[in-house]
Amino acid sequence: MDKYLIKDLMVPISEYATVSEGATLFEAYLALEQAQEEYDHNKYRHRAILVLDKNNKVVGKVGQLDVLRALEPKNEQYELFEDIRKYRFSSQFIMHLREKNLMQKEPLTDICRNAGQIRVEDLMSAPTEGEYVEEDTSLNTAIHQLVHGSHMSLLVTRNNDIVGILRLTDVFAAIFHTMKECNLA
Amino acid sequence: MNELEKLFTRIVQRVNINLREQAFDTKPYVWDLIPKSQMTKFYAFYGISPDHPLNLQFRHSGLAGSYFLGKIQVTNSLLYKTDVRGDELKKKGTIFQFDKFKIPVSKDEEIVIEDSAFVKTLIHNYSHDPETPEKFFIKDTISTHYANIHGSPSDGCFLGPFSTVDLTTMRDSVIGTYSYVQAGEISHLRIDPGTVWVKSPGSFNFLYRYPIEKLKTYISFEAGKLPEGLFIDFVESRKQDFQRVFEVVNIEPATNVPATSSLDRYAVVKPAMEIGENVLISQRAYLENSYLGKGANAQENCFIINSRLEGNNVTAHGAKIIEADMGKNVFVGFNSFLRGRPEKRLTIGKECIVMPHTIIDIEEPLTVPPGQLVWGLIKNKEDLETNSIAISELSKIKTFFSKGNMFFEGSGADFVSAFQGRIHHILEANGAFFNSSDNSGQGHAQRNQNMSFNTIQPYPRGDEEGLFPTIMIQP
Repeated sequence: MDKYLIKDLMVPISEYATVSEGATLFEAYLALEQAQEEYDHNKYRHRAILVLDKNNKVVGKVGQLDVLRALEPKNEQYELFEDIRKYRFSSQFIMHLREKNLMQKEPLTDICRNAGQIRVEDLMSAPTEGEYVEEDTSLNTAIHQLVHGSHMSLLVTRNNDIVGILRLTDVFAAIFHTMKECNLA
Repeated sequence: MNELEKLFTRIVQRVNINLREQAFDTKPYVWDLIPKSQMTKFYAFYGISPDHPLNLQFRHSGLAGSYFLGKIQVTNSLLYKTDVRGDELKKKGTIFQFDKFKIPVSKDEEIVIEDSAFVKTLIHNYSHDPETPEKFFIKDTISTHYANIHGSPSDGCFLGPFSTVDLTTMRDSVIGTYSYVQAGEISHLRIDPGTVWVKSPGSFNFLYRYPIEKLKTYISFEAGKLPEGLFIDFVESRKQDFQRVFEVVNIEPATNVPATSSLDRYAVVKPAMEIGENVLISQRAYLENSYLGKGANAQENCFIINSRLEGNNVTAHGAKIIEADMGKNVFVGFNSFLRGRPEKRLTIGKECIVMPHTIIDIEEPLTVPPGQLVWGLIKNKEDLETNSIAISELSKIKTFFSKGNMFFEGSGADFVSAFQGRIHHILEANGAFFNSSDNSGQGHAQRNQNMSFNTIQPYPRGDEEGLFPTIMIQP
């Protein structure tokens, strides 16, 4: 694995999908589509959009789960189900309550309206401390961060500036490639 | 600042330290709740009886208007019109069964109160904590109007008005206004106002949550204000009647009481009452123009007005029954408020279980069929449909179900059995099954007849004004 460097595996930030704060969910999707068209190094698609502030600093990340979470139908009952966890009900029961509640709704019916109204800052998650990795850090350390934090990607930094994204999928491909070269067959 | 204020400041600080994780500041809630000027006005009193161990020790505490029975230590605490009833404490040589453990009780159990403040609170029953079978401890705890600490050791907790913690050891927790918790053990938990939670680990879990805006009509409690709402208005409007029974030294019973029943001299009884055999009426109960059939009871802070209780009815601490007809063996849980109207009565069929902290407040006649479990806020037939289930149906539940704001998970049969077992125990402890022909089945109704009361007084003036001197009362 030593032959792989983070900076070789990462997607440079210039080739990644980014939007500014204030962008809508739909604008984020367009940014993702455009970045994918321009970035054709491999068949793995971008799965997240970075949100930049007015100084072009990364302030958040919008992943696929964030989008689904934002579009999922919600009501007071939904919040209530989450809240009763502290009274030690089982996850199975809470899931059952949610499903029962969802069956009474038409899921994702407002997708068009929501896509034009929801702002990225309402659904983005701010990167946590474990999601940053310096570009000259060993790949082994980066793998530990991905595994330990269950992250889909890490933000690669150089002197505190974000210069790229190290995606789980690219790290995984590099590991597979190394296995293949072992000539185990 | 005199000693009493210093003591209160110290108690508030200790509770806040315990609740720092939850950033809960008790001071704005309680600073004006304990009327310091009132702490000199009222004597404290204690019961003496041949049936209960006696060992009372009071140190550096205010005890205004409070009552004590049994083995109790109070240190560095303020009690205002609070009852500490040690008539169900475990006795030396008995076995305390907890799950699979048979725990021998090595000495008479004692209630130990330290660094705590209570307003109009009831402390009763015995410690259900297997780790401290001989010590029912309450420390660094503040509780407010008409809260019940029932068989629940406490360390570092705050209880809102009309809340109840039942058979649960609590640590560093906030119990919201009008919440009922029976969960075995809780720690670092903030219970929202209007929560009714009954959990038996590994067996069942019941949760109901009041619609908070509707609950505010009945009781609300905000920082910087006194508790407000219909519950407070209701009890305040009858305050004068209690003042009389506390002011008069020798008071004659206002009604005929059978020899097998007991009417506490600190209860209010107004015409025209009819009291059957084996009836227990505890102090601070309020009875007016009602019938209590054989084996019925009215516990502390209960109000029974213009109602009929046909027999073996448990009316738990703080429950109120107005313009209602209750069948036999109806259980009404803690702090429930059941109000019919003249000519538009509330009827509850036999063997119903009214869950603790239930409000039934109707404008039209309402009948609850026999054998129902009811809970929550019920104002009409539609609410009753949502907030009730036949006990026979509930017994069939094996996984989970929900109805309105109620959630249940686990074994319905275990839930029903636990409640019915407990109701039976309460009736037994209260002497409802007493048989005068062979003197078997004695309980509080019979034993409380052998009770006399003494009073003790605080310092009237000076630095210690409102505090009681160190007092030890032993046989």
